[in-house]
Amino acid sequence: MKSLLLAVLAAYVVSAIHSVLAFVNKRRALQRVSDWAMAIGFVLHTTALAADWFIDGHYPLFSFPETLSFLAWTMVVGYALVRYRYGAHALGTFTLPEVSFLVFLALLIGSPITPQGVGFSDTWLFPVHTTLLLFAYAAFFAVFVASVMYLLQERELKLKTFTAIFHRLPSLTTLNEIATSAAAIGLALLTLGIATGMLWSSSRYGVLWHNDPKEIFALLTWLLYLLLIVYRSTAHWRGRSAAWLGVAGFVLVLCTLFGARWMGGYHVFG
Amino acid sequence: MSIVLVGVNHKTAPVEVRELLAFSEEACAAGLRTLVDGEIVREGMIVSTCNRVEVLTATTSEQTQENQERITHFLSQYRHLPPDLFRDHSYSHFDDQAVRHVFRVASSLDSMVVGEPQVLGQVRKAYSVALEAGTAGRVLNRLIHQAFHVAKRVRSETGIAANAVSISYMAVELGKKIFGSLKGQSVLLVGAGEMAELSARHLINAGVSRVLIANRTAEASDRLAKEFGGAAVNFDNLTDHLPDADIVICSTGAGEYVITAAMAREALSRRRNRPAFFIDISVPRNLDPAIGNLANAFVFDIDDLESVVSSNIREREREAERAELIVDSEVMQFQQTLRVMEIGPSIGALRQKLQDIARSEMNRQRSRLGPLTLEQEAAIEALLLSTVNKISHPLIDRMRRSLETSDRESVEAWRNLFDLED
Repeated sequence: MKSLLLAVLAAYVVSAIHSVLAFVNKRRALQRVSDWAMAIGFVLHTTALAADWFIDGHYPLFSFPETLSFLAWTMVVGYALVRYRYGAHALGTFTLPEVSFLVFLALLIGSPITPQGVGFSDTWLFPVHTTLLLFAYAAFFAVFVASVMYLLQERELKLKTFTAIFHRLPSLTTLNEIATSAAAIGLALLTLGIATGMLWSSSRYGVLWHNDPKEIFALLTWLLYLLLIVYRSTAHWRGRSAAWLGVAGFVLVLCTLFGARWMGGYHVFG
Repeated sequence: MSIVLVGVNHKTAPVEVRELLAFSEEACAAGLRTLVDGEIVREGMIVSTCNRVEVLTATTSEQTQENQERITHFLSQYRHLPPDLFRDHSYSHFDDQAVRHVFRVASSLDSMVVGEPQVLGQVRKAYSVALEAGTAGRVLNRLIHQAFHVAKRVRSETGIAANAVSISYMAVELGKKIFGSLKGQSVLLVGAGEMAELSARHLINAGVSRVLIANRTAEASDRLAKEFGGAAVNFDNLTDHLPDADIVICSTGAGEYVITAAMAREALSRRRNRPAFFIDISVPRNLDPAIGNLANAFVFDIDDLESVVSSNIREREREAERAELIVDSEVMQFQQTLRVMEIGPSIGALRQKLQDIARSEMNRQRSRLGPLTLEQEAAIEALLLSTVNKISHPLIDRMRRSLETSDRESVEAWRNLFDLED
């Protein structure tokens, strides 16, 4: 599957480069190239994941490189949804390079030779748990990007000095809406993801909560986004402070996803 | 055939000179009929706007000096202007340079405010006048259509017309940056100055649905309310109406702050922190600048707007440099087109001449061949014509190549060789 993933990487890199160029030059033709390359990359990526599943016989989301590749896939889905709903292609300029980087890392690390996670795939709860969480992280990534763009733009509006970036970003209201709805979707997915994880754990080990770093970070993340949603919906918090919270939340997400790996504990498998 | 352009614009001539030269539409048509004699000056058109008067011609003469003099003479005669005065303020472009100039004018690279689109419409108008007067022919048709194409490319491929360059339009542009779409937003005019009125008009065109007007004198606010289909509100109850307004445009003659930071803070909290956009175009300022420190409030005073406008103009000028590259490549392509156009008639004439020879020989010998079926007749004609074409093909090819490399001497030689007329 390595060659297929290489093709995926190539398509994403082409897409990312054209997206950045389209952002700089404001050329629609470049944006179209980026869209098509992304679509091709996504189809190939889906094929690669499906092939992994059917040929190797386990759900392609267990080892670290598999997680990276799957995360890239969910981020593309997330970007495509935002793009469809809000037409904000500036988001792609920030997302696609990360997507390419994740696929590159997945390739660089390479899959372990012995198939892993065989014992985990016998119940449907585990793959559902991981899939939901990765989609939640993709949603939080969208919150993060929209928040950063919001902060950049708000700063320029307040200072009244506009750099080239100003004319290329979506409006504040649009960014606010993207962040709000992505956070709501992310929180729902995270809640379901944590719940399925607990169910799986209790059915396998008879314990709901292991108290390991990943779980604690996940709980903190959950609380933070809950706070964000509550504040946003009661409308006391909007704009800059909410955007900063969106950035802070993503730092927690990164800790949950990668940091916990190095702190050891029950959640470290691969 | 050479292309000649002589004219004045806002950079070379003061308005006193430009107004002397300006042509009305009727004068354009009449002038063109005088200028275009069909002998030397084959085609012509006149672009006359408030910023420029330019005469563009296609002539058979290749003498640049003479061509330039002809137009200068025409303009000073026709507009009763001393030729020296005109000469001091005018510029002349020939062939490639003339083509480049036309492309630049149409793309609004030569305008007072780079990127403003009006000039394209004015060129279009001038062209249609020339078409009606019958003075636009092969060369000008190609040139002007190409100029339209270049203008379209420049607009779509560069950001030359992207950002607002007038203060009154700034409200729309910044409003869109804050609110996304202006549809359904409401605007409150505090004071009914001319600039506020103009800004409001732009905002309404951009989709703002509700206009509130607060003015010290009721007549002005009632008049504007009627005109915009909005509502006049009491100037002394501003605090009540502030929360309803997404965009506030302030332009009163008051000497103190009409909207204080405390008023704005209250309005924002009643708006449940939805963003609000304050524009202050009055001097002395009517909005407390401290409002800008509140979250979700964006305040622009007249100086801020002016500095954004000038930075937008600079951005346009940067984009204009990219546009010049597009113009350069289009000029080069057009040179190619022109050469092919010039050779077109010669090639046609050569082919026609050879085919005529073949046909007349056939007619001379036809009686000796006796009765033939239709197919046989057609076969003989095909045989003759294809022989002629096969022999002439390499010649035409060579001729085309000499033209494409601008080897005028060889082209002349080819023409003489086959005794071809222009």
